[in-house]
Amino acid sequence: MRRSWVLAGATLSAAVVAGTAMFLSGGEPQASQVQRQPPPAPGDPLSQDEVRRATEVATASSRAHMASGRIELLYVEREDDKAQDDRRAEAYLYDYADDALIVRTVDLAEGKVVEESKGRGVQPPPSKREELRAAELLLAHPKLGKGVRAEYKKASGRQLRTAADLQLRGLIFRDAGACRTHRCVRLFVRLPDGRFLDTSRIVIDLSAKKVQTLEW
Amino acid sequence: MFVHLLLAGSLAVSGAPLARTAAAPGQPCSAPYLIDERLPNGARWRLCWEMRTIEGLTVGRVAYTPPGHQQVGVLRSGALAQIHVPYDSGEPRYHDIGSLGSAAVALTEADCPGGERRGQYTCVLTRARGHAFLKDGFGDPAERRSAQGRELVVLSAYQVGWYTYIAEWIFGDDGSITPRVGATGSLAGTTTAPKHGWPIGVGRKHFEESHSHNIFWRMDFDIGGKARDVVEQYDFSGNRTKKRSMIRTTLTRETKALNWPMRWWRVVDPRVRNADGHAVSWEINNSGSAEYRGPSDEAFTHSDVYVTQYRACERLATMNPSPRCRTSVDAYAGKERVKDPVLWVNVGFHHVARDEDADPMPVHWQGFRVTPRDVTARNPAASAGPSAPPQ
Ligand SMILES: [Cu+2]
Repeated sequence: MRRSWVLAGATLSAAVVAGTAMFLSGGEPQASQVQRQPPPAPGDPLSQDEVRRATEVATASSRAHMASGRIELLYVEREDDKAQDDRRAEAYLYDYADDALIVRTVDLAEGKVVEESKGRGVQPPPSKREELRAAELLLAHPKLGKGVRAEYKKASGRQLRTAADLQLRGLIFRDAGACRTHRCVRLFVRLPDGRFLDTSRIVIDLSAKKVQTLEW
Repeated sequence: MFVHLLLAGSLAVSGAPLARTAAAPGQPCSAPYLIDERLPNGARWRLCWEMRTIEGLTVGRVAYTPPGHQQVGVLRSGALAQIHVPYDSGEPRYHDIGSLGSAAVALTEADCPGGERRGQYTCVLTRARGHAFLKDGFGDPAERRSAQGRELVVLSAYQVGWYTYIAEWIFGDDGSITPRVGATGSLAGTTTAPKHGWPIGVGRKHFEESHSHNIFWRMDFDIGGKARDVVEQYDFSGNRTKKRSMIRTTLTRETKALNWPMRWWRVVDPRVRNADGHAVSWEINNSGSAEYRGPSDEAFTHSDVYVTQYRACERLATMNPSPRCRTSVDAYAGKERVKDPVLWVNVGFHHVARDEDADPMPVHWQGFRVTPRDVTARNPAASAGPSAPPQ
């Protein structure tokens, strides 16, 4: 198999898939309506309040970098380590300047970071915001962006306004070239008529802010 | 405000917490995260569920109470660990986990027949599983034994690209656990050369590309607590001979194991005994796999069952998102002594499309069975259940 990084000759056609499934958005309605909550039991997921507190603690030292876009908070998960009796949260942050993943473990009772690990070449799945940013980079690409807009127009009869009009799902790609060290995403793009764009060869390098086309 | 903005942009939608009620004393989780189901034959399953951002639906603290017996802990946690989808022409090769938590599909009442939806994305139901047993009475109706089995199902579904994956954890009233995934939704729709595909649609113009779904599960067994659990592999020698002899191999160190005819494994706690004095165990059989073996940079596909020493940060079979741990299961399975085993089961399905796979594609299932071995001294359902004869 041959794999190279060429931008020329990239074609973008919609795969003939009459998808009936939908990407869904919208939160759990119950969550925001609840005021008082009993303390979580050991096996419960993080409560809204715990996620908020963990985020606050875990991002405290990175606010400036986050404001500048260098560091991105990906998500906050309950730490599921059976050696720990305390409620703990893990905040996943990505440092684009360093191309490194930072995981900060927050002890929720103590309200502080009790462990931090950082490593390169470790890529958790893209966050919603990164999926959107990847789509924006795709739309900004002279040739491919035009193709996406044309397919969107064909599918809906409307002009594409923003990347948010597309139904997106991103998966990490790390098999070749710069993507072995960068944060790269391959997008699934669903059009309003249920077809998916053929994006299997298109890789969006979020670290370099570039769109690449795979050849095979 | 700053934090609020951060959360709005990054948090998985389906991971949003639900309203809880306080956990009952002694329960490891609160409603709606607690599942405590007593099936008609008296078997009871208690577990906690969680929709995690990356792994999606996770079951935890799973305990089984056979009819008329004490509760025994089985799994500390169980979750999907990867869905690897390589196409037959060589490319593309997807790792579909992914942020399953944010790919969860909102379920309707019809998706959860007779069951109860916990939030929008998880369904808990019970359903018939056919005969539990059947034994003729040879003319004596009082001697005739027949019962219908039921099972508890916890399920979620995820939309990953054109595919929809339905992930089920099935807990039988016979003490069995069946993790399985059904792939449905739509085919990719990509055309390939005839040798890599199958013609679908009219004539022989569109050859839909064949591909594999190599699905990995991670199961942390804690039989009656995390101490003392041991994994054993069972083989039966004898090839083109009349006799078969059992060979037991205790996997004291981390292992990359292959499927083999008649081979199975069990996780046993030698100090937890049934009334006959036999050690309580659960057996794992992975005979339904297509056994896909990828190139050398996909060594995680090279074995069917991995046994590793528990490490909290080893969660996915590939693309593991932790700087403290290795990134794939073949690397976790080194030479370490196993004191607290985690089992990783790799079940492959080779999908050669057919005309019937036209949209919406019928579900194709893959999974494996975890069955109790000597958890009770006899069939615990024999004297229980509505269809059992009066004693
Ligand atoms: Cu398939």
